[in-house]
Amino acid sequence: MRLLATIFSVCRSVFFTAVIVFCAGILSVMFLVFYTVPELPKLPQDLSRIIETPQSIIYASSGQVLMHLGERENVPLSQVSADFINAILATEDHLFFQHYGINKLRTLKALYITLFEPGRVEGASTITQQLAKNLFFSFEQSFARKFKELLVAFQIETTHSKEEILEAYINQIHFGAGAQGVEKAADTFFGKSAMELTLPEAALLAGLPKSPSAYNPFSHYDRALKRRDLVLHRMVEVGFLSQKQAALAAAEKPVLNQEKKDARSGSYFLDALVKELVKTYGENVVYNGGIRVHATLDPQLQELAKKTLKQGLDRLDEMMGIPSWQTLRPQGALVAVEPATGAVRAMVGGRDYFHSEFNRATSARRQPGSGFKPFVYYTAFQEAKFHPGTVMTDQPVTIPVVGAPDWQPKNFERGFKGDMVLKTAMTQSVNTIAAQLVQITGPRAVMETAEKCGIQSPLDDVFSIALGTADVTPVEMAAAFSVFAGLGKRHDPFLFWRVEDPFGRVLFEHIVEDQQVLDPVIAYQVVDMMKAVVDTGSGRRIREHGFTRPCAGKTGTTDNYNDAWFTGFTPELCTSVWTGFDKKKRLEDTSGVGITGGRGAAPIWADFMTQALAGEPERNFPVPSNIRFEKIDPDTGCRISPKDPRKGIVIAVKHGQTLCGETVR
Amino acid sequence: MIPRWYEPVECREQFKRIFSFLNLGVLIMSAILMFSEFRFDWCEQLLGNFLVSTNQTRPEKGAVWELGRNTLTAHEALNKIIDRKSDTSEFAHKTDSFSGIADHLIPGEWVTLDKDHFKHLYRSLPLTHARQIMEPARLIWLLNGKVTERIFCEGLKNGMKIYFINAGNRVVHQIELKQDILDAVVEKQYLEPGRLEDFEGFSGRIYPAERFFAAVFKLPSEMIQDLLPDADLLLDQDGTILRIGIWNETQAGFIQLGFEFRYQGQTRVLFVKAREWAVWQLGLILRGTHS
Repeated sequence: MRLLATIFSVCRSVFFTAVIVFCAGILSVMFLVFYTVPELPKLPQDLSRIIETPQSIIYASSGQVLMHLGERENVPLSQVSADFINAILATEDHLFFQHYGINKLRTLKALYITLFEPGRVEGASTITQQLAKNLFFSFEQSFARKFKELLVAFQIETTHSKEEILEAYINQIHFGAGAQGVEKAADTFFGKSAMELTLPEAALLAGLPKSPSAYNPFSHYDRALKRRDLVLHRMVEVGFLSQKQAALAAAEKPVLNQEKKDARSGSYFLDALVKELVKTYGENVVYNGGIRVHATLDPQLQELAKKTLKQGLDRLDEMMGIPSWQTLRPQGALVAVEPATGAVRAMVGGRDYFHSEFNRATSARRQPGSGFKPFVYYTAFQEAKFHPGTVMTDQPVTIPVVGAPDWQPKNFERGFKGDMVLKTAMTQSVNTIAAQLVQITGPRAVMETAEKCGIQSPLDDVFSIALGTADVTPVEMAAAFSVFAGLGKRHDPFLFWRVEDPFGRVLFEHIVEDQQVLDPVIAYQVVDMMKAVVDTGSGRRIREHGFTRPCAGKTGTTDNYNDAWFTGFTPELCTSVWTGFDKKKRLEDTSGVGITGGRGAAPIWADFMTQALAGEPERNFPVPSNIRFEKIDPDTGCRISPKDPRKGIVIAVKHGQTLCGETVR
Repeated sequence: MIPRWYEPVECREQFKRIFSFLNLGVLIMSAILMFSEFRFDWCEQLLGNFLVSTNQTRPEKGAVWELGRNTLTAHEALNKIIDRKSDTSEFAHKTDSFSGIADHLIPGEWVTLDKDHFKHLYRSLPLTHARQIMEPARLIWLLNGKVTERIFCEGLKNGMKIYFINAGNRVVHQIELKQDILDAVVEKQYLEPGRLEDFEGFSGRIYPAERFFAAVFKLPSEMIQDLLPDADLLLDQDGTILRIGIWNETQAGFIQLGFEFRYQGQTRVLFVKAREWAVWQLGLILRGTHS
């Protein structure tokens, strides 16, 4: 009896305590609500309207849309695949249509785990709560934020139907790769509308919002598929799918829209473009102003550039014996500029944007090696009145340097060949002669020539500038060489032609202005020498790769084989290719032989240019009227008759220049 | 243990107390509250409705409002740029001098001029100055040929640049109007107070007006046009021409002539440019060596 009495007594105490605690809890919650309400954000009347912001659009030179900035393409629920709706509900909140903004049991469970199981955090956010968070709150994790989010969720549930909430939710969630909202995501990843999504695609998309970058199918396809399988599993669990349907969907591998992969914020070109726009107009105008930007990018050339650079770098891996699993692999960059305008038609800043967003085309400053010699030869022709037929001696050179040991440049091929004309010296990339030329002109004059051509990286006033020891970027090299392609006319590289406001009113227009910065005749003489580099010199791999059009260029390799360049041009297009490791590391093949610009970068250039110019009429460089072509002896520089059986070379000389004392008329 | 005085002594009493109206009432009420809440979400609805009633008094904050504000700010910034452009464009179309446009343009800012307006501005300049800007022949080619599509003026720190653009957005010709040239026109620097002797360049080449014009009329009429291209400028001046000086240097195929005017007891010199070869012919006549 007494025992029974005690039990009853305890039960009663527990019950009344619970009631009191419950009442106290309600009072506390009420107090908290009243306390918090003034801090809660005001809700807009129409959720779907307020998340519409004007999108800034970037168009390619062909008129095709390259990218939308700050875009949210709203789509009504009726225009979204039912599979996607089921998939997102199963993954995020399968009781969405049953609750009023909070899943109480799940919340209690999550609260218990968070409070009593240290180290574990369980989420229980419903779709409404997630919407509230995305629209009004930061991503800071705190109980206060969660509480506010919950209250806002209640208000959203009170003022909007479930369909409206779900529609707002699927139109504003981030799927990664610059895609916000299901319509945009379907287009970005699969090149279709949200209505056309199949079950495997819908499930894949529904898995992305949990971690858009970790599951980005462009960069982590297998990971995204695993996540997709989990989504399918959840769909089976909640009864949206049968096991058989799920298995069928899991067996299918959705085909990604590779075209879009590069035509979005992930592309190096677009990154550089947006950076430039932000610098000019500010972030707010660029992302929220709805501006229209007409870029210089040619999507076909860009795709080609990406493909040829990747293939070239894969070849380089093979040459170097680097297995595919190894993470430390050589990188590369390719920039193609239109010499007639300076428009950047293609830009690839690395092997794969998804593995490294660092844009080597615009930001990697690397030594160009012999790629700098055209500036040296131009300066010598301009300042010292030399010409391609001037004879100099390839011999050991010692150049005294103030405050440092004497500089003794060496040739790549370690020997010395004696007397030769400058055209041969350029063709064979003879270092000792380039060094002698800089000794004659002084490094400052070479710096001035390079700067006139558009090199903006800081250059040092040192003799070794002859061998390209100053760090430059591929885009600078492409732009500077395009000055030679235009026979001395400089056009600074640019990324967009025109910027308009949302109503089509012009904010900016690029005007092509010819700046004659080099003497056209001397520039032609250098171009003629650079043509020989491709035909018979260090860049002859260009010809071996089947590129037959008239072109000129120069290879560049640094002393320690850390950088391999080829920059060359036709009258229509000037392209610079760089290959090398991000961290300074030697490029060498499996036999330990260093890889030069001719072996590493030139084949990429040839592949790109062959395809880029396919279908274009073949054009040669215009010859200035006072240029004469003379056949000379490459050792003595003396004229030989065109019929003379001796093997001579043809050089471009100006009226009035002398060959072995004979004046050219 | 001693039982407390209020403890029931019997089981019956025990049950009676447990199932008292109060206890049952509280229990049932609690259960109803709990279950109805789980079933009908009235608590959430109550809170939701309360929050709706306070909505208008709450602040517009959070990501979505921020985005809205950013959009507004962005549009304001764009409108500002566009308004400034419209203002500049309107001003440029109303103004009747290059210096007016140059004064209005800030460095880097540009405005488009239509061809007729440019012609009007050009023709309003004294020919000497117009020639300094551009040879009329070139202007004819640029404006009346199919070369120029648009004319852009871009503000510089020290004047402005005028670009003649073709249909391909390429600059076919450009001229730079430095501030000193513009100032010379505005401030009529071609008109200097003083006498010809005040300018050393005329030394030894100063001729009375009668002698000068007598020599002029000995020249063929087409040569006179090259000698006095700025006839309008001379005709516009008040006063009488006393003497004319010939400058001792040529500049880009031209030689400056100085016309000394007397007006209301004061003298001033008007500078005009004449073709070098016409001046040379005139010089021969003036020196009496012409056949």
